[in-house]
Amino acid sequence: MSLQSLDLAIGMIVVFLLVSTLCSAVREAIEAVLKTRAAYLERAIREMLDDKDGDGLAKTLFEHPLLSGLFLGDYKPKEEKKVAWVLANGRGLPSYIPASTFAKALLDIAARGAAIGKAANQLNGGPITIESLRARLLNPQTPISARARRVLLHALDTARGDLDQAKKNLEDWFNDSMDRVSGWYKRSTQWIVFVIAVVVTVMGNIDSIAIAKHFYRDDAARQAAVISAESIVKPGKAPNKEEARQILKQLELPIGWTKPTLPQGAEWYNRVLGWLLTAFAATLGAPFWFDVLNKVMVIRSTVKPREKSPDEASEDRQAPPAPVVNASAPAASAAPSPAVANAAAAAAAAQDELDCCGVPQTESTDDAQLPQASGGVES
Amino acid sequence: MSFSLTWMKDVLLQAGLKVAPTEAWEMRGHGDVGTIRGVLCHHTAGPRTGNMPSLTTLVKGRPGLDGPLAQLGLGRDGTFYLVAAGLAYHAGAGSWQGATTGNTSFIGVEAENTGIANDQPWPDVQLDAYQRGVAALLGYLGLPATACAGHKEFALPHGRKIDPSFDMSVFRAGVAAILSGTATPPELISAREPTAAPGATPRATLRRGTKGELVSKLQQLLLHVKVDGDFGGITEARVRVVQREVALVPDGIVGPKTWQKLDARSH
Repeated sequence: MSLQSLDLAIGMIVVFLLVSTLCSAVREAIEAVLKTRAAYLERAIREMLDDKDGDGLAKTLFEHPLLSGLFLGDYKPKEEKKVAWVLANGRGLPSYIPASTFAKALLDIAARGAAIGKAANQLNGGPITIESLRARLLNPQTPISARARRVLLHALDTARGDLDQAKKNLEDWFNDSMDRVSGWYKRSTQWIVFVIAVVVTVMGNIDSIAIAKHFYRDDAARQAAVISAESIVKPGKAPNKEEARQILKQLELPIGWTKPTLPQGAEWYNRVLGWLLTAFAATLGAPFWFDVLNKVMVIRSTVKPREKSPDEASEDRQAPPAPVVNASAPAASAAPSPAVANAAAAAAAAQDELDCCGVPQTESTDDAQLPQASGGVES
Repeated sequence: MSFSLTWMKDVLLQAGLKVAPTEAWEMRGHGDVGTIRGVLCHHTAGPRTGNMPSLTTLVKGRPGLDGPLAQLGLGRDGTFYLVAAGLAYHAGAGSWQGATTGNTSFIGVEAENTGIANDQPWPDVQLDAYQRGVAALLGYLGLPATACAGHKEFALPHGRKIDPSFDMSVFRAGVAAILSGTATPPELISAREPTAAPGATPRATLRRGTKGELVSKLQQLLLHVKVDGDFGGITEARVRVVQREVALVPDGIVGPKTWQKLDARSH
């Protein structure tokens, strides 16, 4: 029995993993258009350099030749919002800036000034040194914000005369800010993924409760889920969007919208609860579920020391799996109640009357769910 | 715990047939069978797609009738699926050679076929396996070919059932030939390719359950399947899809013919 409930859990984890993979794919598609991360990155840089309007040092930095190659078009400062808006638009800006590029560009601006384009043809000064940088930074005429001046001077002070160390100090400062950007982005992603997950689960009618019931009833479905779980875990990396969609299709779950599955009356509460469960689970993210799946599969391999061939009975299941929908059970238990015994007797009398052919089938077995065959090949 | 008919597995394997046991089939049944007096041939009237789409129904039953609904299922690729070693509800009311207790006295074989025009004629490999399988069962029981009946012949009142959709006297003649030893021996799939491409070793025949480098190579040729070196159920299903595309027996076994087609497809 324990293996059955474990397999049920594995089935649910596989479903959550696949759904969250699909949601992440949608989120990535949205990000590809909106580039929210780029907006957060720009906002962080403007705060770092104390350039609220985006027309001073931040603009100079984004237009610096080392950075302008990271994005298309000209730098246009984005509208400043009070909070990091989840759908901030960062089109036309880089999503990532390497810390070393940032540090190099900032040092270069400090040493040679903001001029680019034609004006840059008459650049002044010799090679950059700690001394020349310090001299320029201490000169109030240098067009650089007070905060940036302070940070740059501190970076020089703590570099002990080593320009590389000064650069590294600036990189550290940048990386600290980037952690904040990642935090903003993560929070934004969680909100967006939840909304996407709600849309995906409702549109696809992915009801966790119904799926759990399906796995509970259907041995073959559970087996198929475990097979899929093995194929997901084995390569050591989470499935991509295409693989997720394929596996989801192969599992033949009771999802999607068809007329007969429309809930009636109070069933709606269960259905909505099932959807919400799926959506919350999907919000936890594909990496989380992939991690959980890996751990559970390890547990399963200890519960079930080796993959047994289907024809040997497992130790933990000594009776044949009882069909869940079973009106009359002729194979009665040890002490059958009179009612059960009567039903069994009636069934025994009727059992030569029963046959099966030519009736519509309720569920069809997918090729991937068929048991393993032997024989028919030369040895 | 096991019921009487567990011998079917070895008997069918020895007849050179492909055999796939469902989980715990030895213990499945509505009680045990009585003395076996013959074999009843059915078709499932199931869906058109897949190798044995009716298998779950045979095992678990359908609303109003619990499974098992036959002892054996026969896939379109000639694989025998072991469903139950005990009694199954397959026969209903009827009579054949004086035996009227169909479910108690007959082994029921449900072969996958829609039973209508979209699925005729039956695949050669399936019909051949059907005759060899029935002959093997009868041979083990020491019964003649006449002990095998179609459901449509057994069922009373006559005309109640139409399965199987082929001529039973032709079928029985084939069974008789196999029983008497005059039929050709079964065609087995070679264990490896007869000849290899220059500079290569002949590739082994692969089927579900094998693992390793060669499986990874196969999965690369198959496309649309995860390359993990493990020939599992999903890879097997994919092999069947490809085999259907190139008009080979869709048995999920990668023998010399399938290797050849896969090579040709990738060039």
